[in-house]
Amino acid sequence: MAMADQANTPLGRMLLDEITPAVAKERLKQVITFAGENDVSDLYSDPPPIESVLTTSQSECLPSWFRYFNKELVRTVSFSEHEAFDHPVASLVVVSSKDEEPINKFVDLFNTNQLPSLLNDGAMDPKILKHFLLVHDNLDGTPEKALKVLADMRSTFGLNACRLLCLNSFQDGLADHQENLWAPYKSDASPGQRLGCFLSMEDLDELTDIMQDLSSKQIIPHMEQKIRVLNQQVSATRKGFRNQIKNLWWRKGKDDTPENNNGPMYTFSSIESQIRVLGDYAFMLRDYELALSNYRLLSTDYKLDKAWKRYAGVQLLLLWRNQCSVGNRAFINTGKDLMGLCFFDDLEYWEMMGLTYFMLDQSRKDAEYSMENAFTTYLRMGSSGQRNATRCGLWWVEMLKSRDQYKEAASVYCRISGEDPLHSAVMLEQASYCYLLAKPPMLRKYGFHLILSGDLYKKCDQTKHAIRTYRGALSVFKRTTWNRIRDHLHFHIGKWYAFLGMSDVAIKYMLEVLDCSYQSKATQELFLRDFIHIVQKTGKTFEVFRLQLPIVNISSLKIVFEDHRTFASPAAECILTDLLKIQVNVRESLWRSLEEDMIPSLSTTRNNWLDSQPKLMEKKYKESNVCVAGEAIKVDIGFKNPLQVSVTISNVSLICQHSATADEMEPDANSSSSENQNDEVLRKLVSSRELNSDTSSFTLSEVDISLGGGETIVVHARVLDRQLVGKHHLEPAGAVYRVQLRRIVLHVFVFTLPLRVRLGDALEEEEPDLRPADRSPASRSEATLLPCLPQSADPQSRGRESHADADATPAAAAQLTVTPRVEGVLNIVGVMWKLSGSLVGFHSLEPNVTRKKVAKGNRKLKHSKSSNLKFLVIKSLPKLDGVLHHLPKTVYVGDIRRLSLELNNPSEIAVERLKMKISHPRFLNVGNPEDINIVFPACLEKKDSSARSNVKVGTKKILDTVFLFPEDATIHGGTPFVWPLWLRAAAPGHISLYITLYYEMGDLSAVMRYRTLRMHYILEVLPSLDVSFHISTCPSKMEEFRLRMDVANRTKSDSFKVLQLSSVRKEWGISLLQPIETNFPLESLSAGQALSCFFKLKNDRTLAPAEEKVPVLSNVQGTDVRLGSDTSEPVLDTWSSPLIDFHHYERVHQPTDQKKIVPSCCLIFMVVLNSFMHDQRYQDTVDFVLISRRQGDDSSPNSHNIFSHHACHCEITSSSPISWLVDGPRMVHHNFSGSFCEINLRMAIHNSSDSVVSIHINTLDSTPATLSPSGNEAGWHDISLLNDNIKVTSDVLGGGVQKSVSSGSLSPFIWSGSSSTRVKLDAMSTTEVPLLLCVFSPGTYDLSNYVLHWSLLSVNEHGDSGAGSRQSSGTCQGHPFYITVLQQD
Amino acid sequence: MIVCVAVVGHQNNPLYIQSFTEADDALKLHHIVHCSLDVVDERVNNPRKSGPTLNDTFLGLLYPTENYKVYGYLTNTKVKFILVTTDLDVRDADVRNFFRRFHSAYVDAVSNPFHVPGKKITSRTFAERVSTIVKSFGLSSAG
Amino acid sequence: MGKEVSESCVESLLTEIVSSYGTRFYANKPDLAARRIEAIGYQVGHQLSERYTMERPRFSDHLEAIKFICKDFWSELFKKQIDNLKTNHRGTFVLQDNRFRWLSHMSIDPSPENSGSTQDPSAVAENKAAEAASMHLYFPCGIIRGALSNLGIPCAVSADISNLPACEFLSFSALN
Repeated sequence: MAMADQANTPLGRMLLDEITPAVAKERLKQVITFAGENDVSDLYSDPPPIESVLTTSQSECLPSWFRYFNKELVRTVSFSEHEAFDHPVASLVVVSSKDEEPINKFVDLFNTNQLPSLLNDGAMDPKILKHFLLVHDNLDGTPEKALKVLADMRSTFGLNACRLLCLNSFQDGLADHQENLWAPYKSDASPGQRLGCFLSMEDLDELTDIMQDLSSKQIIPHMEQKIRVLNQQVSATRKGFRNQIKNLWWRKGKDDTPENNNGPMYTFSSIESQIRVLGDYAFMLRDYELALSNYRLLSTDYKLDKAWKRYAGVQLLLLWRNQCSVGNRAFINTGKDLMGLCFFDDLEYWEMMGLTYFMLDQSRKDAEYSMENAFTTYLRMGSSGQRNATRCGLWWVEMLKSRDQYKEAASVYCRISGEDPLHSAVMLEQASYCYLLAKPPMLRKYGFHLILSGDLYKKCDQTKHAIRTYRGALSVFKRTTWNRIRDHLHFHIGKWYAFLGMSDVAIKYMLEVLDCSYQSKATQELFLRDFIHIVQKTGKTFEVFRLQLPIVNISSLKIVFEDHRTFASPAAECILTDLLKIQVNVRESLWRSLEEDMIPSLSTTRNNWLDSQPKLMEKKYKESNVCVAGEAIKVDIGFKNPLQVSVTISNVSLICQHSATADEMEPDANSSSSENQNDEVLRKLVSSRELNSDTSSFTLSEVDISLGGGETIVVHARVLDRQLVGKHHLEPAGAVYRVQLRRIVLHVFVFTLPLRVRLGDALEEEEPDLRPADRSPASRSEATLLPCLPQSADPQSRGRESHADADATPAAAAQLTVTPRVEGVLNIVGVMWKLSGSLVGFHSLEPNVTRKKVAKGNRKLKHSKSSNLKFLVIKSLPKLDGVLHHLPKTVYVGDIRRLSLELNNPSEIAVERLKMKISHPRFLNVGNPEDINIVFPACLEKKDSSARSNVKVGTKKILDTVFLFPEDATIHGGTPFVWPLWLRAAAPGHISLYITLYYEMGDLSAVMRYRTLRMHYILEVLPSLDVSFHISTCPSKMEEFRLRMDVANRTKSDSFKVLQLSSVRKEWGISLLQPIETNFPLESLSAGQALSCFFKLKNDRTLAPAEEKVPVLSNVQGTDVRLGSDTSEPVLDTWSSPLIDFHHYERVHQPTDQKKIVPSCCLIFMVVLNSFMHDQRYQDTVDFVLISRRQGDDSSPNSHNIFSHHACHCEITSSSPISWLVDGPRMVHHNFSGSFCEINLRMAIHNSSDSVVSIHINTLDSTPATLSPSGNEAGWHDISLLNDNIKVTSDVLGGGVQKSVSSGSLSPFIWSGSSSTRVKLDAMSTTEVPLLLCVFSPGTYDLSNYVLHWSLLSVNEHGDSGAGSRQSSGTCQGHPFYITVLQQD
Repeated sequence: MIVCVAVVGHQNNPLYIQSFTEADDALKLHHIVHCSLDVVDERVNNPRKSGPTLNDTFLGLLYPTENYKVYGYLTNTKVKFILVTTDLDVRDADVRNFFRRFHSAYVDAVSNPFHVPGKKITSRTFAERVSTIVKSFGLSSAG
Repeated sequence: MGKEVSESCVESLLTEIVSSYGTRFYANKPDLAARRIEAIGYQVGHQLSERYTMERPRFSDHLEAIKFICKDFWSELFKKQIDNLKTNHRGTFVLQDNRFRWLSHMSIDPSPENSGSTQDPSAVAENKAAEAASMHLYFPCGIIRGALSNLGIPCAVSADISNLPACEFLSFSALN
């Protein structure tokens, strides 16, 4: 039976075939692959966290197949000819007694030609001890025959070389022994083959004692005797001084022999090999001293001979000598040999015991040294010694491990990892485990070497091993920030899993690397491409909850729905709810402020229509929003693409659930119980899976689910949305879905920036009649792109956006709409999208996703979080739809246009009781219904006063803020309802006009009584003309003022035409100073040109208008002065409807105390009667409204080319109640040789206030203080003539009398008489005060050196209203009055 | 020439890794730097084998890989600087000098109030300073 | 390193921080204000320790680090060293500065409102001084904590001003 498994035993192998390196490699490969197959089972499990790896002891963290592998590895290098351990010491020849010619059998079983080469070529001693065993089975019969055979065996082979073994394999009893009795020796015996299962107990005993006395009586004596022989020979030849010398001599002679790599060939008879054998035997028999001495001796010789292999072997033995342990090694070994087991089988525990012994040993240095030597020598031998080097390294490693020098062990492992990738892979892996076991564990090296070995494994396609090692490494990098390495690991593990066909695991790993914004663009592309490739290879679509790509930033989630608030245009929409409840939109508050005085307060409305809907649970209602069936809820979700490569996502859609009534919300099949979120998430996945399976392409089948709530995907094309929503009831469902289908085509483009434009194109070719207002989806999506940008605040992405390239969009926003069709409760659970057509990602919109953000937010948001996505669907209502026609996008300041507001109500139910409010009445005014069909510029022309009166009525109606449409105005059935509006661009800039319309439902059964339509338009107003007015008192005449107007054309290109001037006030008349031609030499004012002209502003209270010489188109309101030469232009009536209304708002808007220039560009003046006299100052303020006409082509048909601008509250004088005038001779001739000259002057003082004033004239006899210069307006400066005149006087004085000046430093003239006069002046009265001036020397003098102190004596009774603006006393500096006194000869 | 320079935070998290080669060997350099951390820990934990003097911030040559030399520097705040170079004869003086300048650059970078401690260093000026330091590496010995 | 800022600027900045946090931002919750100020100080200390420990060998143990705080760090900040350093050897250190610069220029308004207050106005002034100063002390506490924790010593620092302008900083390092 020993022969039977001969092929498996090493001896048998040696006998049968030589172990070539190729064979060894192949065998190892089989081992590794076998191991790989075995541990594929745990490939699905997650890699353990690194802590647990650290805590696990060496035994389980090391893969179990390593020791088997090492054993195999060692076994491959057994039977080398240069060491005698595996040389057969004895051979057991067994023949069954059933054999008819046992003797011959024995003979030819052992004849030389069957012996292996090592024996034949003499590397081993062929004369090995033979033992002949005859096996007899008792079942074959009585042992007599066997005994007789034994007898003549004895005769032929010798007496004690033969034995008989009687066994009985009893047929019935498969007596299985509790443990395989060969187990301690034959560790690699597979348990399946039950060795010796036929043997009874006594058979076993017989076997063992045969072995015992075979080894004890035969082999050991044989070996000892051989040792003795060899020892004598060796000592004879080599011991002693003479021999040494002779030996050297003799070697000198031998040196010239050519040396190949492994030195001269030593036959067994050569002295060296005999010494070696001697040493080995002694070693086996534990005579270590002898062995060591022999090895030392031998090593010197070998060194001399440069027989490196042997030398290394000897070094090994020297080490062994240190390591060898007591115990019946020899028996075991020889027994092993006989049993045909390899000597090296139990190397490990042999060494372990040896090393435990080694601990006590003092000479570990020698061990290190010899190991080092052996190893290096083997390595130096190159490939032939490779395997021996490996074996030696393994032993060394074991030695180091047993001394806990794991780092050194690892380095040794690294050294023995040779060129062969597979081999080095295993070695590196073992090295990595050594690093792990090192104290302290060197985790990073552990991971690194694992990765290295993994690469090598992969190189020799041991994929499973590669995955195992990588996963081990992954546990190191799991929670670190070494993203690149981790991504590399995840990526490759994923790829390899895919290679193994385990695609779901592969995708699980691949998903980790998707969000790699820090990687280079190429890497991102690679990751993405392979990922998509893997996913597509699987054929089915994977569903990933919370897919990383693209990133949904919940914070940018906006939900727009229409309850009682409906929106005409997307521009008007404002976020009615978002998850974080940050009311970022000031608009909503603005709308509310607009509507607050139109609509009944929200609570009351809720109540009354809640009562009408009793079956709804109030609580449910209160915490959920209301939306109307058939009207879309629009959800803006910002998607962020972290990569630099562009990804395409498709089929973005909402995941909604709908339950018919509120109370069966919870038990609903795919409903979400909002209390426990995990369950909710799972549920959602389930529900959305079957949902996804139906709606993966938007066919009609989608409708089946969507009888709850139909998901529709909408891109930014809002026009399409509105039409979709609008037509919803009217059209058959098919049409609606056709629209959706077209939508999907676009939807692929949402993400990539260059494709945005194509999105626009696609839109246009779908809807050729898009209005320009709606034709920029690209810009629209830019707008939505902006808010997403701040979300990428983490450093990586910040760094990325610094070098973000054009073809990648960091973020985009998709707008999704869900359109419920039946009443009930609609809950928007999440959003799902399809990444590159094959991977479906879900993201829950439940607020718990953003819980921590909300927690950062203030408290009160908490309760309403969950409600934002829950909608109470009520039955469909009429919905107004409004458009503002003829509204230009850009307009010049002051342009007056007529717009028409068109309202549409698609449904049959009428809406009534319309109210409207406009945010900027300054810009937009409600007209009268008859304004629609009048021709606009003509209607402004002068009419008789009757027409004007009822215009006033209309005006009154407009002046209150809410405009009530007439009672009979009801809109229904799609018949448009048109109402005129007046537009006047009041101020330059971008103006956003908000119009809100309130209307009530026709049928009272409607859940909502009223709704509001909100319209929002943005208007760009360009500056056209700048006009500044300056009013200055004219010193020459009382009650008359100079009005200077400076006009500058601020436009780029357009030129404005000058028409006419009208003054419309009783008290104040305006007249030209010069004839028209001098004022306006050219008809029009072209771009950049400036113009200024003077007018005379005259108070007509004292002077009858009849005296006015202004060209009068006489009417009650005032006078119109036509500027411009052509009389064809009609004179416009500034009291007619739009003008006066706009002017009213201007008056309200502009601040009352303005001294600054009022921008305006009109050449028609009107001075408006200020209706409240008392709240003005003591003198009037004048308002200007300015209308102009643009020159040249009228581009737009609906522009009437009338510009009006309003300048209000321009003060006529500085704020003093009095005005005065000094009158007297301007030139006096006098002879100063005589006396000084007296001059009489008169001062006329007028009290323009409505109360009594006491005035105190105070004359100062000093050179007057310089007049305070009137402020510069529009680049106008006063050159102070005053200084020049003083210079003149000094000149005159210099030329004239010196002494008089030198006589005294007093001024050349004094006021004589009382230096102060006091007068009392009634309201609106004039008086005269005489003044006397004494002049001493000729010259020109300025008599402005007096002041008038005035103080109100009685405040009038209704002064309280204007009390803020009036002062009770003041001081006025005197006007300059020049008088020239000449010497009279 | 200097192949790679890295700053590793006190939790062994990479704060800044910059490679100065044209080749795309970022991954390999990451591995080298990452492994060198083990040696740094070893040096620190049993300082008898540590650098020239006890507790010197300069840790000296951490380990020679097949064709790189890795030097380490550990600040008082347990921030590690790793220098990977290819030239085989590097004077310690040069490396010390390099690390000194690098340290000052690092300090200026993290003193920026907008820098979040423990986060990656994204300051561009820091990158520029580092590149200049790297360029000037070894020139002192040359000239 | 060459950049310097005048001490008065730093002090007025500190007072401004304290006043704005204490009275404007977190007027009603002083503990929150204190935490914010302490956090600012923490960052400052964190960065300063990074800077001031350049060019010096690593600290072998915590005592060295504390000594560094007392000597070099303190003199970098306040041009003087800590006057007295005590420790129970169980991780508590007491750093005593007899004339803490940032408190030395502080003065309490001498108008003690003793309306209804039983104790004498001086005591009231004392209390006011104490609580006013304590607000100013969160910043240096944060600095010390930041510096120590950046040096690898997680700790909690609290200040004690029993007698102005002397000031004691207690740092409980969390190691043992």
